Amino acid sequence: MSKNLRITNSKFIDQTSRISFKFDGKTLYGFKGDTLASALLANDIHLVGRSFKYHRPRGIMTCGSEEPNAIVQLGNDPSMTEPNTRATEIELYEGLEATSQNCWPSVNFDIGAINNFFSPFIPAAFYYKTFMWPASFWEKYEYFIRKSAGLGKSPTKPDRDIYDHRYLHCDVLIIGGGISGIIAAKTAAQNNLNTVLLEDKNNLGGTTIFQNNECFKINNSYSNEWLSKEIVSLNSLKNLTIKTRTTLAAYHSYNYLLARENLTDHLSLNEKKDKIRQRLWKIRAKKVIIATGAMERPLIFNNNDRPGIILSSSIKKYIDYYGVKCGQKISLFTNNDTAYETAISLSKSGVNVNSVIDIRDKSNSSIVKEAEKLGIKIHWKHTVVNTNGYKKIKSIELMKLSDDGTNVVGNKLNEECDCLGISGGWTPRVHLFTQSGGKLKFRDKDNVFLPTKSKSEQISIGSCNGDFELDDVIKNSNNLIKEFLNINSSDYENLEINCSREIDKKNIWLLPSDKPLGKTKPFLDFQNDSTAKDVKLALREGFKSIEHVKRYTTTGMGTDQGKLSNMHALGIIAETAEVKMGELGTTTFRPPYTPLTFGTIVGRNVGKFFDITRKTPIHDWHVEKKAEFENVGQWKRAWYYPKENETMHQAVQRESKAARDSAGILDASTLGKIDIQGTDSSEFLNRVYTNDWSKLEIGKCRYGLMLNEDGMVYDDGVTTRLGENHYLMTTTTGGAANVLSKMEDYLQTEWPELDVYFTSVTDHYGTVSICGPNSKKILSKVIPDLDLSDENFPHMSFKNAMIGKIRCRVMRISFTGEQSYEINVQSGYAKSLWEKCFDAGKEFNITPYGTETMHLLRAEKGFIIAGQDTDGTITPVDLQMDWIISKKKYDFVGKRSLYRTDTIREDRKQLVGLLTDDPNEVLEEGAQIVEDANKKPVEMLGHVTSSYFSPNLNKSIALAVVKSGKKLNGKKMIVPMKNKTIGVTITETVFLDKKNKRLNA
Amino acid sequence: MFLINCPYCGERDQSEFSSGGEAHIVRPKQPKELSDDQWAEFLFMRKNIKGVQFERWNHAHGCRKWFNMARDTSNDKIHAVYKMGEKPPIK
Amino acid sequence: MLSYNSVVNDSIKYNDLTISVVESITKINLRGKKRDFITKIGKSISILLPTESNTSSNNEDLNLLWLSPDEWMLYENEKINSENDIYNLEDELFKEISKINYGSVTNITDHWVMINLKGQKVYELLSTSCPFDFKNFKQNKGSVVQTIFNHIDVIIHHKKSNDLNLFVRRSFCDHLLSWMRDAASRM
Ligand SMILES: [Zn+2]
Repeated sequence: MSKNLRITNSKFIDQTSRISFKFDGKTLYGFKGDTLASALLANDIHLVGRSFKYHRPRGIMTCGSEEPNAIVQLGNDPSMTEPNTRATEIELYEGLEATSQNCWPSVNFDIGAINNFFSPFIPAAFYYKTFMWPASFWEKYEYFIRKSAGLGKSPTKPDRDIYDHRYLHCDVLIIGGGISGIIAAKTAAQNNLNTVLLEDKNNLGGTTIFQNNECFKINNSYSNEWLSKEIVSLNSLKNLTIKTRTTLAAYHSYNYLLARENLTDHLSLNEKKDKIRQRLWKIRAKKVIIATGAMERPLIFNNNDRPGIILSSSIKKYIDYYGVKCGQKISLFTNNDTAYETAISLSKSGVNVNSVIDIRDKSNSSIVKEAEKLGIKIHWKHTVVNTNGYKKIKSIELMKLSDDGTNVVGNKLNEECDCLGISGGWTPRVHLFTQSGGKLKFRDKDNVFLPTKSKSEQISIGSCNGDFELDDVIKNSNNLIKEFLNINSSDYENLEINCSREIDKKNIWLLPSDKPLGKTKPFLDFQNDSTAKDVKLALREGFKSIEHVKRYTTTGMGTDQGKLSNMHALGIIAETAEVKMGELGTTTFRPPYTPLTFGTIVGRNVGKFFDITRKTPIHDWHVEKKAEFENVGQWKRAWYYPKENETMHQAVQRESKAARDSAGILDASTLGKIDIQGTDSSEFLNRVYTNDWSKLEIGKCRYGLMLNEDGMVYDDGVTTRLGENHYLMTTTTGGAANVLSKMEDYLQTEWPELDVYFTSVTDHYGTVSICGPNSKKILSKVIPDLDLSDENFPHMSFKNAMIGKIRCRVMRISFTGEQSYEINVQSGYAKSLWEKCFDAGKEFNITPYGTETMHLLRAEKGFIIAGQDTDGTITPVDLQMDWIISKKKYDFVGKRSLYRTDTIREDRKQLVGLLTDDPNEVLEEGAQIVEDANKKPVEMLGHVTSSYFSPNLNKSIALAVVKSGKKLNGKKMIVPMKNKTIGVTITETVFLDKKNKRLNA
Repeated sequence: MFLINCPYCGERDQSEFSSGGEAHIVRPKQPKELSDDQWAEFLFMRKNIKGVQFERWNHAHGCRKWFNMARDTSNDKIHAVYKMGEKPPIK
Repeated sequence: MLSYNSVVNDSIKYNDLTISVVESITKINLRGKKRDFITKIGKSISILLPTESNTSSNNEDLNLLWLSPDEWMLYENEKINSENDIYNLEDELFKEISKINYGSVTNITDHWVMINLKGQKVYELLSTSCPFDFKNFKQNKGSVVQTIFNHIDVIIHHKKSNDLNLFVRRSFCDHLLSWMRDAASRM
């Protein structure tokens, strides 16, 4: 440390606890309680980054979340590094490592800074105009731009940190722990309201907590002392939860808010380990009180961006709170009274204040008199016309303002300084109010946008509501809180408040210089490097809407969302376009208020919790037998069971052959199952299925097809009549929830008069499906009491059965074309039943098969899979399933749509079979089908929907949808692939056992 | 994220619900009598207005009941929820 | 003979929280609207059907939870101890209700798995992923809520103070349990 910039009397910094950290590779020291910014300033480091476009040196400018310049890369571990963090918000911890962004090769020597010398050629929208054309050049430009721009580095490895989410419900949520937030919290909690107070800093008190000025007193105490006592008194309130280091990120409708709590970011690397890093609070509050305060505005003048130019109130916080001097010869430049508070604080701490440059003619407030009493020099009606110094400010040039403020007059004065404090007045933080949908109004007196009265259960209090004087803040907050919470009195009545009040006001959005605007650099948006000139240029080029100007000039589009720049941009636009600011409106503030890491947003839903997984009751058996699994919706289904070194193809071929040659066993538990009871059950089925259900006998099963109202196939499955008014419906695995919800929808909204009830039993039953010529023999061993003869138990029928004392429902239905039984048993017994069947089948080489074999076997029979062979554009007629559409029924869901002009077109895409010329060539699912590849443009007639090599037919088979396919049986087509074309012939959809002999074999 | 007052269960978070589009579209009793255009009107045509819109919602992860909602699409204010079969309580 | 396989068969204790899976509890879904349905249920099992939303009624053996204006879930307090009477309750109700077309009776014993959550931290556990506001629920014994927990449908029954029965569909149980255990281990 070359200079001693630390004073010793701050109670917020623990000077006994030294912390070492690294900035740009250099080891430095700070103290517990410091932010990275305060520690850097204490080390006399101002230059922390380069600006985005011109790579001008930039320094720490603020002490909070609005910081545009001091954006650093935190950490250098490839899984933990974090770009775009604000040095002003990072609490110092042992082992912290940070580097500058936006500069290459280093912050002190930056190649991109050459842009600064070219800057007359980089006006607003330079990137848009120059690099957009010709488009083919973009690749070349991109490299150059990315290399020299570089907004930090993303981590390249998975985030090791743990994040968490919590829901929180409360009566009153207070955002902001400054003086008005504290008043609100105490009042609400004292009145039995479940209250939560959020503060983004590590402790409460806002700016009042370090306000130890004679001019600001409450009940004869300094305001900071009074507030400290109030904070202590909060601890005894039972209904109050205080969360510090918690930033409100988003304010949505119905008082749903997201807040990010920082749990370990301030801890040393060792202390952080294995702890939850950040927690996202999902808050639903009955009432919300916004007390987010205000932020100081900069002033817009020539070369106002040099390192060492800092907001005046931040200089005050650095000296009064952190005990850090931002310089040793400080000048202050202001248009309002608050800079005098800084001047007094500096002067009392022994810092040399050169002068205060005030654009106003005078000010008679007590704080200014206090400053004069201390001998601080004031240049009334003056402005800074230029600043000097490259990596740090060295001097300023000032001149007298003309009476109308548009020009400068007289001689130029030079003033040496190592720091310039600037204050352009105050902007209420209305971001959260507008995020919640609130509309703003403009107050001309001091040029601020303020919340209008909100309709939702919400108020804004304190300086975010436009109260800037201490007595207004307390009195108005107290009154608003009482009214909002329906409370008669509070602890904050009749306080004796003394404060300096500002009477004289003056504002100039763009301060004049002795040089013309074209020759100056008055920066507006420090992060995105746009100047007042750019905004004026945009207006000259015809942009009128503030939203357009924003995008054209990129003003306000940085990671800080232009928190500092927006007001001046608006002011300059209004002035230039000669419209009133209130009429111009503002740009939209979008969540999050400050950037959130992805980890916080995702919470614990990473890795195995990324998506929900559902398991069948037989799952463990498949795992033991080393099955490969397939995701079907959320289900984990056994896909195939490879033996030793088998490939997937080999396993599927083996399983498919075994199922037809002897016996196969499939876990069909995932099928949706709906229990239907009630006197109108048959009627209901008639209305939602295309076929007729009235005459289905008890104990019989029927295949049903369900359509959408537009006539397109929606789902299918077998439904069994268990009793007179009792059915069990099955749906596809993926369609289960939607089918039930759709049936409830029709029942509740269209046909409430029907007496029918649905109950999902999908998870109650496990389903074991045995198929193949030996399936009957196997089942007879498992359930010896059941008469399995074809007369007693034919295809498409059902029997109740007992295995020991456990009930089973056995359906003789087939999705493979083989003789096949599906046994439903209560899930807890399903694995046991499966094992029993497997043991009984051993002598027949019973082979477990997965979903891939199931798909292959049904394709051999031409059975469709809803969702694979159909895609929401296919009618049953397109599927050549006209037989399933009842002619007798007047109506069913989707019927009317089946004879719309579009659905009766004969050239619709229709389901067909495909055989390849080369029987060993297996088509790719999704491949296009054409007739004539030479005719340009090539007409795509359809595509392959299912394709397999059938071991039972010893050839490749496929299903496809083809334009006018029904009429094309026997026709040759071409499937063009990347390196070849495949010849195919259109066939019927059934490839195997066209007469269904195997069902009873 | 809305807070929706299910007419059966009370106030619940929006994540428990699913939305089902425009309300008060009655399925024609005699579809056969309708022309293609009339059927298309029922099948496809939906209002999309700025202002108060009547919508169907389902308390999918709660009581599974469908109900109606009058919601202002410009500010998401829910003016009323009412049961299926009931007339909208506001215009 | 078939043997029963539990999803998970253990209970795990954390600080102020015990998570235990309780299987083989008979559960029956009841649906109906008719007056006869309501009176018949009362007579058959000697419990009044709770008609107020989000509530339940119970006697020594049984709990009857309101699920919707025409749907209830019945569950037994004790595990089934003999396979002899495994279907008694279902058969009795089916005969009294469904057979005579008063409503529907469906055995859903294994559709849901019951997880008992006990201890000071049960509501903290729920706050990790339930959007529901448990304020009133917590104050009223017998409260019932159907909501989502980590995006999974659950039914939660307030049995005693800090002693809840949570029902989750069997296929989701493994996932939800491991999620709850992960959450509980960090509380
Ligand atoms: Zn509901």
